[in-house]
Amino acid sequence: MKRTLAHLVTVSALALSVALGAGAAQAREFLLGSELPLTGSLARVGQGMHEGIAVAVEMANRSYAGKHSFKVQTIDDETSPAKAVAAVEKLVGDGVVAITGGYGSNIIGPASEAAQKAGLVYITSGGVSPELTQRGYPTFFRINNTDGYALAMIGLLQDLGAKKVSVVYLNKDATSSLAKQVNTALTAKGVTVGMHEFDGATSDFKPLMNKVKLQDRPDAIAMVGYENDYVGILRASKVLKPQVKAVVGVWSLATAQMAKEFPDLMENVYGTSMLPYPVEFTQPEAVEFAATYKKLFNKDPDYLGQFGYVQTRLLIDAVVRADEAGTLGKGGLPDELRKTDANTLIGRVTFDRNGDNLNFTHRMGQHQGGKVVLVWPPDAANGKMNFPAVPW
Amino acid sequence: MSNSLMNRLFLIVALAVAYVGVPLVFGGNAYVLGLIVAALTIAGVAVAWALLGNLGGMVSFGHAAFFGVGSYTSAVLAMKLGVPVTASMLLGGVGAAVSSIAMLPALRLRGPYFALAILAYAHIFQILATEMTPITGGAGGLLSIPRFPTVLGFDFGDKTGGYLIVLTIVVLAAFAYDAIRRSTWGLALKAMHDTEVATRVVGVPSTHLKAAMLVLSAFITGVVGAFNAHFISFLDPDYAFSSGWTVLPIAAAIFGGYRTVWGPVVGALAIYLVDQLLFKPILPHGHQMILGVLLCAMILFSPGGLMPALSRRPAKENRHAHA
Repeated sequence: MKRTLAHLVTVSALALSVALGAGAAQAREFLLGSELPLTGSLARVGQGMHEGIAVAVEMANRSYAGKHSFKVQTIDDETSPAKAVAAVEKLVGDGVVAITGGYGSNIIGPASEAAQKAGLVYITSGGVSPELTQRGYPTFFRINNTDGYALAMIGLLQDLGAKKVSVVYLNKDATSSLAKQVNTALTAKGVTVGMHEFDGATSDFKPLMNKVKLQDRPDAIAMVGYENDYVGILRASKVLKPQVKAVVGVWSLATAQMAKEFPDLMENVYGTSMLPYPVEFTQPEAVEFAATYKKLFNKDPDYLGQFGYVQTRLLIDAVVRADEAGTLGKGGLPDELRKTDANTLIGRVTFDRNGDNLNFTHRMGQHQGGKVVLVWPPDAANGKMNFPAVPW
Repeated sequence: MSNSLMNRLFLIVALAVAYVGVPLVFGGNAYVLGLIVAALTIAGVAVAWALLGNLGGMVSFGHAAFFGVGSYTSAVLAMKLGVPVTASMLLGGVGAAVSSIAMLPALRLRGPYFALAILAYAHIFQILATEMTPITGGAGGLLSIPRFPTVLGFDFGDKTGGYLIVLTIVVLAAFAYDAIRRSTWGLALKAMHDTEVATRVVGVPSTHLKAAMLVLSAFITGVVGAFNAHFISFLDPDYAFSSGWTVLPIAAAIFGGYRTVWGPVVGALAIYLVDQLLFKPILPHGHQMILGVLLCAMILFSPGGLMPALSRRPAKENRHAHA
């Protein structure tokens, strides 16, 4: 009897170990690649996306625990197109299943071309230039685009009832494209628009803002540039005090960092933002995202992290689906990603033939007393808009 | 065996390794080959810069202008006029050479004044590229620039093809530099370093010779810029006229030994590949710092650069090793 029992225990233990072993054999570790500017002029925005990607990997490892695990290998492209291409090639050589990352349309262009040549998916939220998707690369995907930013800026300016708007914009591809889109849409609606282009090397905006003040006499100023440009424009405006009712910008403006670093310049300024600051989340995924972000980086997430998270989570889910369908190793990931139809932290995401998310539309936040309050569209607002109101 | 014969033998072996060994060993590794191509791109500009400095006696801070003009000329010719890529690359060099003619008045200046003038010219060309939107695409630049073609079944548009092209450009530039150095022009230019007035007195057209060196240096840089445009397949004014196309080649030339023909090439390969393959994996966010320290150490301990240090020539000889 004793011997039979011992035999039974041995057989059971063997069966259990075989079962566990079989389970472990099914579990797979997927290596994702990430090419981002972590040094150079785009280091700050690159770091923001990098954090979002890390949160997505952490959360995916929790939700797929015991089944699959995920790792990300990140290479700094040093804000250089050539080094971005080299980074993609290194990631390809290291056997990543896909690439998430990239910042700046001019860097994403050649980097995603290298990924396309290798047949690897490249998903991003860092480049909104229309040219990127017009190339029709089957492996290129992005979750945001110029249209979404332009719609938010145009929508807010219209709701504010602006009749004359001065658009002050940087002469880069993405910024020029967005500024021209705003100009066309507002002009078609009978708004008088003054267009003022500036160069990236501009540090003193007083002559330009003086022209806006004396020549245009607008109701609102629309800024399309990046952080340093906004600070320069607002500093010049604070000196010249043009008689406007609102100052509106787009990306990299309605952020916690800008509120902390330039409180005197930011008050009442509008910018695109998916999140209020401090963050208020109710959706379970969003709550978990914010908690994980806090745990990993000891701070509240901003919109850059949110975009990095969403693009990476969509990629991970598609990788798992393709793996389950047995198509991952046969180039089936782009098709699987194209089947995406998800409600995410930035709204609904689907991809068209060119990998663009045509559902993308942004929200507008306003700096109010060190916070960023979502004020547009009305159904997404979490506070009241200060209008008319300017920082000076 | 004489030194000259040894040098020739070494050069033949080095070229055989470069043309056969490197593609065989790294042909399957696009990453490493891509880094070598990037290093050779810098090497090409470094050779052109050293040629101007060493033979023309001019320190240029504006080679990014020639690089940018060459790359835009070639890209626009290929994209808008359908000129074959190989021809447009050479015409890119011609475009850069023509642009250098606008800089000829600066030849009257010396030392830091010439350096600053050429820097200002570079900025002018960048502004022109930004403003000429219908031709250059403006600040948005040009994407999907045609790549090098496939010839007799060999794809020059891939990494190995690109490597062979840029290697050939660099080798030809170095041979041209060496040939001029050994010619009577080279002798005259060398004499001009010691006393320009005296060489003029004996009938050496010093301004013409300096102008010729400037045009040749611009041509080489323009061809390298054109190659890069077709290899990367992308251009915008900030990238094409980036100060990096001036600073890195200068650092490479000084590191390798700018008074030697092959020093700039060795310097470019050393600083770029060591930085990307060795320092970057160790220190992802501060690897450039190590490179800076290494460059400082090289200048302090071997002012002549890496090549003279490797060849172990006496210091006295180095100091007088003009051209």
